[in-house]
Amino acid sequence: MKRRKIYAAILLAVMLVNTSIPLFASSHREAPMIANDPLADNTDLYVFRSPDDPTKVTIIANYVPLQLPQGGPNYYSFGENIRYEIHIDNNAVNNTFTNGDDIVYRFTFNKTNEDPSTFFNIRLGKQNLKTTYTLEKSTDGGVNFSTIVSNGMVPPPNIGPRSITAAAGLGAADYNSLISNAITTSTSGEKVFCGTADDPFFVDLGGIFDLGDAPRTTGTMPVDGVKCKNVSTIAIQVNIADLQKDHKSVEKAANILDADYVIGVWASASRRKIRTLNTDGSQSYTGSWVQVSRLGMPLTNEAVIPIGNKDLWNSLTPYQEAGLGNYDVFSSSFYNPELALYMDDSQFGGAVPALTPLRIQSKSLGQFDFRNGKDGLYSLKGNPALAGTALDDAIAGKLLLHGPAQPRSVDLWPIFFTGVPNLKPYQLATGKNGNPLAAGKPFINNFLPNGGDMLRLNMAVPITKRSDPKFSSLGLVQAAVLGLTDPAYNGNANLEFIPNMDGFPNGRRLEDDVTRIELQAVSGVVLAAIGLWYDDYTPGGSPVTPNLLKVLTYNTGVNANDTTLKTGFPYEQTPWPGTCNCNGTAVDYTQPAVLQPTQDPMRLAAPEVFISAAPNPVSGTANLRYRVSVESNVTIQVMDGHGTIINTLQNGRQQAGTYNVSWNASGVPAGIYYVNTMENGVIKQSLKIVKQ
Amino acid sequence: MQQAKFTFKRKLKVFLLTGCLLVFSGIMMSSSHREAPLIANDPLADNTDLYAFRSPDHPNKIILIADYIPAELPYGGPNYNSFGENIRYEIHIDNNTTTPGDDIIYRFLFKQTNQDPTTFFNIRLGKQNLYTTYTCEKSVNGGQTFTTVLSNGVVAAPNIGPRSISGSAGLNVPDYNTLITQSISTASTGERIFCGPADDPFYVDLGGIFDLGDAPRQGGKTRDGLGHYNVHSICIEADISSLQKDHKSVDEANNILDGNFVIGVWASSSRRATRTLNSAAGGSPFNPLGGGTITEEGNWVQVSRIGMPLTNEAVVAIGKKDFWNALTPYQDLANISTFGNYFYNPELALYMDQSKFAGAVPAFNALRIQSNSLKQFDFRNGRNGLYGLKGSSGLTGTALDDAIFGTLLLPAAGEPRSVDLWPIFHTGVPNLRPYQLATGKNGNPLAAGKPFINNFLPNGGDMLRLNMAVPPTKRNDPKFSSLGLVQAAVLGLTDPAYNGSTSIQSIPNMDGFPNGRRLEDDVTRIELQAVGGVVLAAIGLWYDDYTPGNANPVTNQLINTLQYSTGVEKNDTTFKQTFPYVQTPWRGTAVQ
Repeated sequence: MKRRKIYAAILLAVMLVNTSIPLFASSHREAPMIANDPLADNTDLYVFRSPDDPTKVTIIANYVPLQLPQGGPNYYSFGENIRYEIHIDNNAVNNTFTNGDDIVYRFTFNKTNEDPSTFFNIRLGKQNLKTTYTLEKSTDGGVNFSTIVSNGMVPPPNIGPRSITAAAGLGAADYNSLISNAITTSTSGEKVFCGTADDPFFVDLGGIFDLGDAPRTTGTMPVDGVKCKNVSTIAIQVNIADLQKDHKSVEKAANILDADYVIGVWASASRRKIRTLNTDGSQSYTGSWVQVSRLGMPLTNEAVIPIGNKDLWNSLTPYQEAGLGNYDVFSSSFYNPELALYMDDSQFGGAVPALTPLRIQSKSLGQFDFRNGKDGLYSLKGNPALAGTALDDAIAGKLLLHGPAQPRSVDLWPIFFTGVPNLKPYQLATGKNGNPLAAGKPFINNFLPNGGDMLRLNMAVPITKRSDPKFSSLGLVQAAVLGLTDPAYNGNANLEFIPNMDGFPNGRRLEDDVTRIELQAVSGVVLAAIGLWYDDYTPGGSPVTPNLLKVLTYNTGVNANDTTLKTGFPYEQTPWPGTCNCNGTAVDYTQPAVLQPTQDPMRLAAPEVFISAAPNPVSGTANLRYRVSVESNVTIQVMDGHGTIINTLQNGRQQAGTYNVSWNASGVPAGIYYVNTMENGVIKQSLKIVKQ
Repeated sequence: MQQAKFTFKRKLKVFLLTGCLLVFSGIMMSSSHREAPLIANDPLADNTDLYAFRSPDHPNKIILIADYIPAELPYGGPNYNSFGENIRYEIHIDNNTTTPGDDIIYRFLFKQTNQDPTTFFNIRLGKQNLYTTYTCEKSVNGGQTFTTVLSNGVVAAPNIGPRSISGSAGLNVPDYNTLITQSISTASTGERIFCGPADDPFYVDLGGIFDLGDAPRQGGKTRDGLGHYNVHSICIEADISSLQKDHKSVDEANNILDGNFVIGVWASSSRRATRTLNSAAGGSPFNPLGGGTITEEGNWVQVSRIGMPLTNEAVVAIGKKDFWNALTPYQDLANISTFGNYFYNPELALYMDQSKFAGAVPAFNALRIQSNSLKQFDFRNGRNGLYGLKGSSGLTGTALDDAIFGTLLLPAAGEPRSVDLWPIFHTGVPNLRPYQLATGKNGNPLAAGKPFINNFLPNGGDMLRLNMAVPPTKRNDPKFSSLGLVQAAVLGLTDPAYNGSTSIQSIPNMDGFPNGRRLEDDVTRIELQAVGGVVLAAIGLWYDDYTPGNANPVTNQLINTLQYSTGVEKNDTTFKQTFPYVQTPWRGTAVQ
């Protein structure tokens, strides 16, 4: 509660701020409980201005991690009895203790089996587990919802060419036509797509979770652990005016960092409180809705929150997180992040050789130590030099200089919990003349101080064209680099657009390498950007020191998605088909030719006669057909079960050829009879006929 | 359901008392990964495969392996898969149809602790989070009481990578196999037990086969869809005498097909009926205690089961898969009206039948079910198969005789596969006419032939049935084959070492699927061949292109069936020579 007041006070002080920071790699299987509930596992959240439609913002929430495209026969999709939600806070003033959302999009899914008689997912134009959805929207903090899409279609899984395009399957032109058909427009104007897509995220899961071995040092090549894997994606494209708190269009922004254009976005999944397993194999869901997964900033719960708190973190809203008060178990993970231990030679830096290029400032400007447990800027607390900066107690200093031995309260914490205002000291060192507390060149304002983990985007920031040579997956880190070093931008401290100011952590573009950015941030790159240079900087010298260069060139070894992105909505790439050649292992196999059935031996002259009967079993007359391959004496006799001859159907010489005789069995008792076919007195075949 | 079993058993008792032996070999498609809609969303409880075979290195022991958690990515961190808490993982054994239900049950319960809750890494500085231990309980009275036979069993850590396993900042052990060896325990009742991650021994072209049956792929390269993925294995090595109903050792068997040495094995997982998601308490200051936790209570409800591979994956249709998972095998007979037809007229058979959808599944071109075997028997879906013989004197003394169990094997017209597929899954196959190899039958499939199987345990439920008296085939025997009993049949019909008489001989691979299941057995291929009628052919109901009287039944259609393969014929790695046989799990950093 106390904190909440502070946030409001900060806001009312009309701050601007500026930072950029980050932490680790998204949120796949990130907490123990949700790892076992893949359908509700929220993996990534992206928020960016649409590169092909700058009046719109695209929000993408991904669920169901690491889907194997070949994961049949019951392919992955959204689950029933789950609320998938995207939440937007555009106005921190009206936040309440429990809820601060201004807009909520709620997706619920429904599945039907169009042909329950097959184990295939798709057959003869029909699909099982066919998924449709309803989209509801609330603009009053989740009190009331209106349905804005009914019967939205989720495309089928991309099983393979036979299932998608063949006549025995759906007979579609191609998979992309199914995607196009599934994009719909809601009654309130949003473009919406729900379906499977290539996972746009990229990370060397194998290396990084082997005690931080990214890039790998143990002799194996880095592997994008989510390559060739799909996710279930919810994508919406919304007019900026619909998201802006006063419904202003983007042209009305006062400048490209207009604070009124900041939105905070988070996504979640909720399930009913009680699940009952019934003994007939079905399940019932009852009770209130309980949040089981959430995501704002990438990697918060994957690589910042330690395992003991991950499940709790997933259960809270950002607003509850802000109100934790004495129970706040999360902030310390940002003040002194675990990852920082591995970038600090006085801690475990020596144990994680992959992170050797990343070394946190221990003696920035000769005095500031940002290593875990040290004081960072806390020694400045109360210093008149802080007057008018964000670190001023009168502004946000109580939060940003929260206490001693919490060095990252000035960079990592606000990036995740409040966004960064365009305010001293959160401006680029450009123009600061060596004093980090001085005014510098603005480069960010995504300040929305509600105190909760969210992805914050200033929608007024122009878009960097994806084809721009200065476009970079380093996002705001690259904008800072350009603002500090590129003569096009570093000659003055004016506010101007620098490429990639629209990149993470100002929102998040699909291309942004958030793992790399967050690791760089943990190692102090944001501090450096605002003039708190690395230890090897000497006053008066170039701030672009070897240590800074090591941090900037650090990368995890996996720096881009394994495929391209689309240029239009929903931007994510077509899902990998189940038949693709990059999952599982290759097998060398050559199918042998399928042989024609062996020729009827009568044509081969042995045996010389051959007989068949139809129908068999018989109740009336059995038609016997036989073939003689060489001229012979042919005798055909019917015998009963005791061997008694009861009919002779043929007895005499016959030319080669095919003959028909019939046996009227209506007069004989039910049982088994034998038709013996003799050639030249020798039984060649005994055919059993059953009389019903 | 026990009632049903009892009635059925009584019916079969007559049969058993007549001293019959039977023989069969039959079959269906590919294991049980993500096979039913609901369990696909509960991977921890998803039972993927079951194996039961005589130990190749200790022939007086049986190995039972139940695998769970499908297609685990070796790099699936930071919370790597392990056995789940609040789940009962069970392996059930029926060794006696005169006693109701299971005779032996092994129940495994797992517990996880975080040794260092301050890190997001799974392993750091010798400590492991989600560190998993287990208790094994055993019941020998049908589940009425259980005794703990192993406490504090250790589940080996996930094979994250060299730094986590061998590095000084990790567990600092010489290699991963050390962890496997250390985690093998011996129960107080003598079984050796291993629970831990392992390479998935199963192999199948998931991508091809579920793209409307495209296996082998007709365009593009075949792939093992489970290559480089792990599962969690429960492995038990038990003395044959501890599994045999009268505690006889295998040397006391009358012969290698002694009916008293048949066990039926199935595995399951169960969860509590009620799961409650706890939310944080409200109020101000906000109190999060209790948030993000789960309470599980109530009765145990079975959510997954497996006996024969692929039953619920490729035989039972989607509308009934969840229900199938909820039943025990002892309930199968009571639900035969729901499930019987999936075996009598299996969906897969539609794709091997030119008069149905065969034209739509070119990958199955080599498989064509007999429509005119011996110029009279039609086994295609909806046809009568052998039903026309019902009541005829030729059936006297065979398994198809109504007096024995013909009402089950010839239940009605229009159910052609009641004589092969259904019993293979539900009763096992007795060493009795007509379930003997055509060798020695002189053209009459109903005549006595060469015995090759007896895994008859007629409880009516889907189980993996193994006759423990059948000698193991050495894995380095040149005649060892992943075609299992199909290959034993081929040898018994064509190999001069075996096809000269109808006497019982140990034919290589008689210890293979569907007489139990070895890790090597290519059950997908075998089951597809079986749907294609290969078992019928083995007992003398030859393919359409065989002309009765012809000396050579090995026609092109039979050759096509035997040559048919999905293209993935073996696991993507080797097996260990010794317990637990499953291979070291793929390392998170070692796969592409």
